[in-house]
Amino acid sequence: MYTLTKVTLSFIAILYLLIPGQLLAQQSDFQITQEFRAEYNELINRVSNAISTEELDEISEEISAFEAQYAEHSSLINAAIYPDTFDSYLEVLESNFNTVNANISVIDQLNSRVEVLVNEMDQFRDRISEMNQEMGTLEDQIEKSSENESRQATLIRQYRLNLDQRDVFVSEFLEELVERYQNMDSSVRSEISESSERLQDNPIDILKTILSEYIELASSEISLDLPDYVSMRAQQAYFMDVWDRIGTRLVETFAPQQSEAEKAEIDELLESWLEAIDGNLWATLLVSFSENEIELEPFSSSEEFNRSLNSYVDESYEASLESNRDEDYQKFLNFSSFWNNTVKANWGELLTTGNVLSYSDISAIDIKLNNWGEAASTTSNIMFILLIVSIAVIVGLVVLLVTKKS
Amino acid sequence: MHKSRLHYLLLSIVILLTASACGPSLVLQDVDYSQPLESVLVPDTEQNIHDQRYAVKFSISSLLMEEGLSEIDKIHMIRNRAGFYFITASGFNNVYIFTPGASTLELVEKILVAENGISEPAFNQRDTYIELIDRNNGETYNLNYSK
Repeated sequence: MYTLTKVTLSFIAILYLLIPGQLLAQQSDFQITQEFRAEYNELINRVSNAISTEELDEISEEISAFEAQYAEHSSLINAAIYPDTFDSYLEVLESNFNTVNANISVIDQLNSRVEVLVNEMDQFRDRISEMNQEMGTLEDQIEKSSENESRQATLIRQYRLNLDQRDVFVSEFLEELVERYQNMDSSVRSEISESSERLQDNPIDILKTILSEYIELASSEISLDLPDYVSMRAQQAYFMDVWDRIGTRLVETFAPQQSEAEKAEIDELLESWLEAIDGNLWATLLVSFSENEIELEPFSSSEEFNRSLNSYVDESYEASLESNRDEDYQKFLNFSSFWNNTVKANWGELLTTGNVLSYSDISAIDIKLNNWGEAASTTSNIMFILLIVSIAVIVGLVVLLVTKKS
Repeated sequence: MHKSRLHYLLLSIVILLTASACGPSLVLQDVDYSQPLESVLVPDTEQNIHDQRYAVKFSISSLLMEEGLSEIDKIHMIRNRAGFYFITASGFNNVYIFTPGASTLELVEKILVAENGISEPAFNQRDTYIELIDRNNGETYNLNYSK
């Protein structure tokens, strides 16, 4: 219990050093701590809201100045913010700064990556657009020059060239996509995903555009040759392979909210593209064989084409075994020539990459062709030998008759 | 002889019991009550202030009456090493020095610092005194009080 001892109440130290009118720039300790808190909170907020390294550099300098300014008042500040301390506050500020700095570095890298992507998409879009314009012009010209066969042929050659250039360009684009996204881990994918909203067109949109244009090309009424359609099929097969490898990653990166729907859409476009190609391919293939006097059973798929080929060779082989006519041999020579010099030599690689015929399919035909050749040619040789023998016998008989008579 | 010894013993016991009933007489010296920073407190509608950090609350209505004021925005208060409370406010002419008692603050000194009221007062704790500054005009007063 406190008691005030009045006996010795002393006024000796009252009004010690009364100094009115002293115009010093005096500070209030309370004000210093208030200002410390206010500036500290402002720095914390600015660090949290910083979005660039330049901004952080500026804040870093201000933090250093802040620390220097209030270091001399640290004991006062410690009393004001107890149980926290001036040093602990600065540690928190530094920790926040370092965290934000690390995040912004990642963001800067992502921004650079997105910028590169945006530029690439822009360049790709511009180039494809150019190609489309060129091909559109060519299509018009081809249509208009239908009466002038040589001009039309020139234009179609140019059209084919443009198709090839386009394929090369798209293939390079796909290769880049594969290289970039095939081995990307999920953390990088999610980082890109957040930034990809800034892309006007992301790779998924570009792919859809490419596929739509390919479908249009494949359905075009411009008369192209078999190698053109087989080449398209090869391109489609390559596209399918790329899509199998990176499709899931691409949709999860650039369309995470509707990845399944986007994947399904691209799958559908790839199917439609194949259908558009096949719509022209099988008919052209049948005609190509027919023009070389090889009448195959009609077909509308790779399997049916292979069956039709095998069926033709098998039937011809059987016929050669049974009748052994010269016509059968000519038929063999005709097929063999077309098969080796055109189908295998000119179209072989395209047929395999376009999944029209596999290497084993081609080998099987080769073996059958060999057997057919033996069956067709052996009979002919025997016939020839028999003919010679017959003639020799006849000549011999005639000589004998003549000598006998004389 | 035997009886006087018994009386003496009984008296000792009584004195001992009486002394113990008077309570402890332990005194701790050189206690430092100094408050490192002033408390700046806003009175509520009933003119009570509550310093939550240093756990003291009381009504300032008597103070206001003493100064002839009806209301103020903030009270400035600080405690010196000896444990005395120094109180003033913007518009006050005086600094009031109180000593704490049992549920009381007893005025021990009233110091005139401004004839027309101090405008922006602030207390600073210094080693051996309390510094009062008027932030408006830079005037400084070094104050102390001890018993």
